[in-house]
Amino acid sequence: MIQLRQLSKSFGRQQVLKSIDLTVNQGDVVVILGPSGSGKTTLLRCINYLEKPSGGEIAIGDYRVNCSRASKKDIHTLRQKTAMVFQQYNLFRHKTALENVMEGLVIVKKIPKEEAKARSIALLEKVGLAGKLDAYPSQLSGGQQQRVGIARALALEPEVILFDEPTSALDPELVGEVLEVIRKIAKEGITMIVVTHEMGFARDVANHAVFMDGGVIVEEGSPAELLYHPREERTKQFLKRITPEPSYSI
Amino acid sequence: MKIDPSFIWTAFVQLLSAIPTTLMITAVSVSVGFVIGVITALFRLYRIPVLGQISTAYVTFIRGTPMLTHLLLIYFGLPVIIDGLSGWFGWGFKSASIPMIAFAYISFSITAGAYMSEVVRSGLLAVNRGQLEAAYSIGMTTFQALRRIVFPQALAFSLPNLSNSAIGMLHGSTLAFTVSVVDINAKAQIVASTNWKFFEAYVAAAVIFWGLTVLIERLTARLEKRIQLYNRGGVA
Repeated sequence: MIQLRQLSKSFGRQQVLKSIDLTVNQGDVVVILGPSGSGKTTLLRCINYLEKPSGGEIAIGDYRVNCSRASKKDIHTLRQKTAMVFQQYNLFRHKTALENVMEGLVIVKKIPKEEAKARSIALLEKVGLAGKLDAYPSQLSGGQQQRVGIARALALEPEVILFDEPTSALDPELVGEVLEVIRKIAKEGITMIVVTHEMGFARDVANHAVFMDGGVIVEEGSPAELLYHPREERTKQFLKRITPEPSYSI
Repeated sequence: MKIDPSFIWTAFVQLLSAIPTTLMITAVSVSVGFVIGVITALFRLYRIPVLGQISTAYVTFIRGTPMLTHLLLIYFGLPVIIDGLSGWFGWGFKSASIPMIAFAYISFSITAGAYMSEVVRSGLLAVNRGQLEAAYSIGMTTFQALRRIVFPQALAFSLPNLSNSAIGMLHGSTLAFTVSVVDINAKAQIVASTNWKFFEAYVAAAVIFWGLTVLIERLTARLEKRIQLYNRGGVA
């Protein structure tokens, strides 16, 4: 279980997260929606301390971190309990697909090379890249790179995987293959927090949806409810703008 | 004055004996300089208090003064310091027992360090920030992330400039003759003045320097090919 309490973050004088409270249960797939600049990506990055929160509390499982006085060990522990899939994939450019997945297992988890290799191959097979083990990121398409990114995150067996707009940088025709993989691992009961603009994905895969704007959680609930029967005016406005109305006729 | 082409060969053969000295000065200054460069670049990039400022001052001062001046400062300054310390602590060690070439090693390493600090810094800055974030996200410590992820890529980015520095140090090593170290150029001068054939001796020296430079270029090209293996893909 992941619990955020009064999490806040300021960049200089600008407060981008204003006392966020959020609870994510084991096995939940939570989507975070919201306009750009609403703080959704910052929220995600605060959970594994790629951004340093200004205050509040982060708890993963029974490990609690008070953000106003987090130690190096706290940060390290949070990062080991989480994994992230980036918008720009951020695969290690000088390592092959297989090495990218193995890196965390061998260096961080100190698993023997042979075992790490076997596990990494199995994961790459799972994301449909059995034939690309020795390819460098520059030799892979965006969709393939992102699937390696997902395998790299899965390898660490984190308590939660954080997805930061995993399909936003992809060509439209490659979005499907990545969402398909995410859908597949969601079914396995892995806890996920996904920042996305893919409404269809939010509706089909998530079991909890959060709408953020201006650094606060405006509304949260089941995806169907939030997407089709939003309570708040701000949510309605946002959804209206991103779901195209079939108002025109030919 | 007539040119004696056959003496070029004679000089060439005699100069060969000085190649190890030149190569040693180059190798020591480049490798020690690289270590200094990496450390000072990190101090500056991470804005470590005090050490960061010292590194910045070091880089601007050294890059702002000629290599020959460094050599002379070390040559005349270091013995004073060493003898002073030695007298103070009663070590019974005299600076006169330091071999001349050691002054060249020390001063040229300091020179190379400042230039390489900039080379390494630019290499580190060229590595996408996302690489470091990805390393952190899989639970690496800063040290692990730097060593495994950032450095190898930074090295690849800085290789052309590093080879430039190495060539610069190879050629700069000729200044060592001012503290009576016999490198290739100094040897050429000796050979020339005993035979009164300056042009021929320096032609031979130039050929050797050129050959050594080509060697460094070849070596770099090879390394580059290996390191940049991962860049060749065509797909974004």
